Amino acid sequence: MLSRISRLLIVVLLLISALPACGYWPGTSKTVTITVVYGSEKKEWLEPLVAAYNAARRKTPDGAVIEVVATPMGSIEAAEAIVAGTLQPTVWSPASSLYIPVANAAWRSQHADDLVVGDPPKLVLSPVVIAIWKPMAEVLGWPDKPLGWADIAALATSPEGWGAYGYPEWGTFKLGHTHPDYSNSGLIAVIAEAYAGAGKQRGLTLQDLQSPEVRSFMLDVESSIIHYGISTGFFAERMFELGPSYLSAAVLYENLVVAQESKRLAGQSAQLPVVAIYPKEGTFWSDHPYAILNAPWVTAEQRAAAEDLLGYLLDRPQQLRALELGFRPADTDIPLGAPLDAQHGVDPTQPQTVLEIPPATVIAGVQALWREVKKPVDVIALLDVSGSMSGERIAAARTSLLEFINLLDDRDGLEIILFSDDLVTLTPLSPLGEKRQEVLRKVSGVVEGGNTRLYDAVYTAYQDMRERGNPAHIRAMIVLSDGEDTASEVQLPELLRTISNLSEGGTAPKIFTIAFGEDADREVLRKIAEATGGKQYDSDPKNLRQIYAEIATFF
Amino acid sequence: MPTPRLNKLIFLVYMLMTAGVFIAALASPAVRAVAYAPLRDLLLPPPRPIVVSVLYSTEKAAWLEEAVARFQATQPQVDGRPIAIQLARSGSREIYLAVLDGSAKPDIISPASTLQIHILQDLSAGQFGTPVVNAADRQTCRQVLRSPLVLVAWEERAQVLWGDQRAGDLWLQLQTALTDPGGWQKYGRPEWGYIKFGHTNPLKSNSGFQTILLMTYSYFGKTSGLTSADILGDEDYQAWFTAFEGAISRFGESTGTYMQEIVAYGPSMYDMVAVYEATAIEYMDRAVGRYGALRVYYPPATSMSDHPFCILQADWVTPEKARAAQMFLDYLTTPELQQLALLEHGFRPVEPGVPLEQPGSPFNRYAANGLRVDLPPEVETPPGDVLNTLLDFWARNIQR
Repeated sequence: MLSRISRLLIVVLLLISALPACGYWPGTSKTVTITVVYGSEKKEWLEPLVAAYNAARRKTPDGAVIEVVATPMGSIEAAEAIVAGTLQPTVWSPASSLYIPVANAAWRSQHADDLVVGDPPKLVLSPVVIAIWKPMAEVLGWPDKPLGWADIAALATSPEGWGAYGYPEWGTFKLGHTHPDYSNSGLIAVIAEAYAGAGKQRGLTLQDLQSPEVRSFMLDVESSIIHYGISTGFFAERMFELGPSYLSAAVLYENLVVAQESKRLAGQSAQLPVVAIYPKEGTFWSDHPYAILNAPWVTAEQRAAAEDLLGYLLDRPQQLRALELGFRPADTDIPLGAPLDAQHGVDPTQPQTVLEIPPATVIAGVQALWREVKKPVDVIALLDVSGSMSGERIAAARTSLLEFINLLDDRDGLEIILFSDDLVTLTPLSPLGEKRQEVLRKVSGVVEGGNTRLYDAVYTAYQDMRERGNPAHIRAMIVLSDGEDTASEVQLPELLRTISNLSEGGTAPKIFTIAFGEDADREVLRKIAEATGGKQYDSDPKNLRQIYAEIATFF
Repeated sequence: MPTPRLNKLIFLVYMLMTAGVFIAALASPAVRAVAYAPLRDLLLPPPRPIVVSVLYSTEKAAWLEEAVARFQATQPQVDGRPIAIQLARSGSREIYLAVLDGSAKPDIISPASTLQIHILQDLSAGQFGTPVVNAADRQTCRQVLRSPLVLVAWEERAQVLWGDQRAGDLWLQLQTALTDPGGWQKYGRPEWGYIKFGHTNPLKSNSGFQTILLMTYSYFGKTSGLTSADILGDEDYQAWFTAFEGAISRFGESTGTYMQEIVAYGPSMYDMVAVYEATAIEYMDRAVGRYGALRVYYPPATSMSDHPFCILQADWVTPEKARAAQMFLDYLTTPELQQLALLEHGFRPVEPGVPLEQPGSPFNRYAANGLRVDLPPEVETPPGDVLNTLLDFWARNIQR
């Protein structure tokens, strides 16, 4: 009897003691999800790491399984959405700390404390550089002669362009940087221009921004910009894909130069080699801070999970991976070595000095000044109003176009063409300022019906742009279509021949095409966009606004 | 009595005793050790550990974490209950502010300097009636590591600025170099831009506080007797000090993370910074792997971080916690731990039996980088009201 009880007891005890080992214990199945919004230029590093992290099913100290959802986004765009409350991530990791004081100042107008408290830890580092094709850099005296923002500005504003250096076949000097209202590197580029214009390396003030020298200097440099763009990573892709005739140089991060050179050395890119210029006046660091937000939507549990992810990203294997991809690791135990070397177009002993980060008010001042001196755009919007656009589609197209028009300045030129059986020019190419209300009213009244004369419409718009567009402006066409061409007189090969202008380089008119809905002729729209160095987007009524907004960042 | 019955009786008595031990063990952890081990671990709840929480300043993190691991490995106990040390980091000033406002209830605090213990002692006496620490009690409040404030510079740049033989008052020279609008151009290196110096925020970090104190002493050409009237009544000093601090772009939050950033970014960001000697030593090799050698300079008079560990005299520190805390404190000053602090982490031991110059010592290894055993004199720590005057002046005129 006794023995039977004790046997039973032993079995029960064994079972109980085995439970935790098998993981069957109450409480372990709980999951905590955190969202990370980060600057797109570290996507190649972060995305696979987050996947591996999720697969490892790591737990918080309280035992909840951590799940990470990470989304790349322009640094400044993200800041504005977070402050507005439309984006509520647990962690914000922009490309640099530059914009944090600005975000904090905006946040404080509605909250008692800062959005980002103290000095957040940095994940990886990379200096801001001017990426330029190696033969062009050599003509400028690289690597022996130190070059800076002022040299680039002088070249950008010289009417002879590369001709002044004996290379007229390279055409004008074409510079690119991203949109300073959306992307960190674009903002850095315009702050550096302001410093160079003021002849300073620190202590930039609002007074400096009012001086005629600073204004005319920025105006000059911005005149050589071929177009802006939403994110630095995307900008680098275009430069390395379309080559030297498209863009001579662009403001990028060092890691993007290393990544391209690694690709080229591995035979995955047939472009010329590219090198990094570290501006002699000084530059800024992209330092990828990891900020766990001090926002009401971040719970204590999410905070603990975010701390764990941070620890993982700073661990040696992940930091070594960052070095392989061309970043300078935040972990100082890791020496700077290959691929940070001359073979990959960069110099790890550079930069020699930095420009001082201005206070939030001055940063906002630089952004405001840039909006005044930026290159204007001439844009022709082509809208498919054939019968198939009825209902939700035409409504979404109208609203999105109205919002797009509101993103344009008074100085910008706008033409709108509606195409179905006929081509109707709703408004011809002329400055928006004098006709804004009238145009908005007309767009609100657009209705659908008839066939799709896509080729004729694009052909006509292209002719209009050639005739009436200002070559000193950014010139672009946006084509929205939801079906195949059914009634054009012009045929596709002829159209493509007419609009193919890649040999003219980055300043030629660009066509952006939006394939709207399932029936759109995606392939044709892609060909049209690529013939001009533009871009094709897939869209539906839900994301159309977003796509127009993204196209607007080119201007 | 037949044998089977005797056996049964013995078995029964044994079972009762065993059960008794187990029941007694539930009430007193000291008895637990007597209980039959395999069954004990299976049946009895593990004895609750005595948790000793330590709130300490960041720069000694690496040594302290290692110290705790070694201490735990000795399986220390009080009354049969294991001791668990729980570490939390903070800035030196935040440590005493957190104790004062009740947001932290640590058993041991260890700011970077006895300076903060004095401040806490004064302020807590005023606030609670009795002080929560007693700096004079060598048993419960003990200096454990020492490290002076130094200037650490990228060697290549320091060479250009000062050459091999730097002479004269370090702070006065530095102020002149920093405030010259020509920057490095004056030294023939325009590509280095303006001269960049930095120290931590004195309101948050002890090394920043020490730096502005040493600057101020240097300006007045003395090492003791600093008064509030010196700071508030001398416009020339104020102009000199404001220009000095105005040339600093960014003040770090804590000494350890600040030094980490300096080595991560390299000389483009900072030419030189004021940190602890131990912090500089910690980064010597890493700096070489990143941007080159560092060089250490000693100011004309120094201020020492002495890393006191003090057991709080507060109602949450129970007698058994106090005993456990005392054991931990005693362990930190053993020659083994002092040796570890010197060889692996660059601190100067308080234990006289551990010499600075010995095989493997950083004071031998980095002698060529300017590290030296003999120190300049220490400045006198001014009274609390003078320290507060200096901090207030900084907060009103410099902080941004």
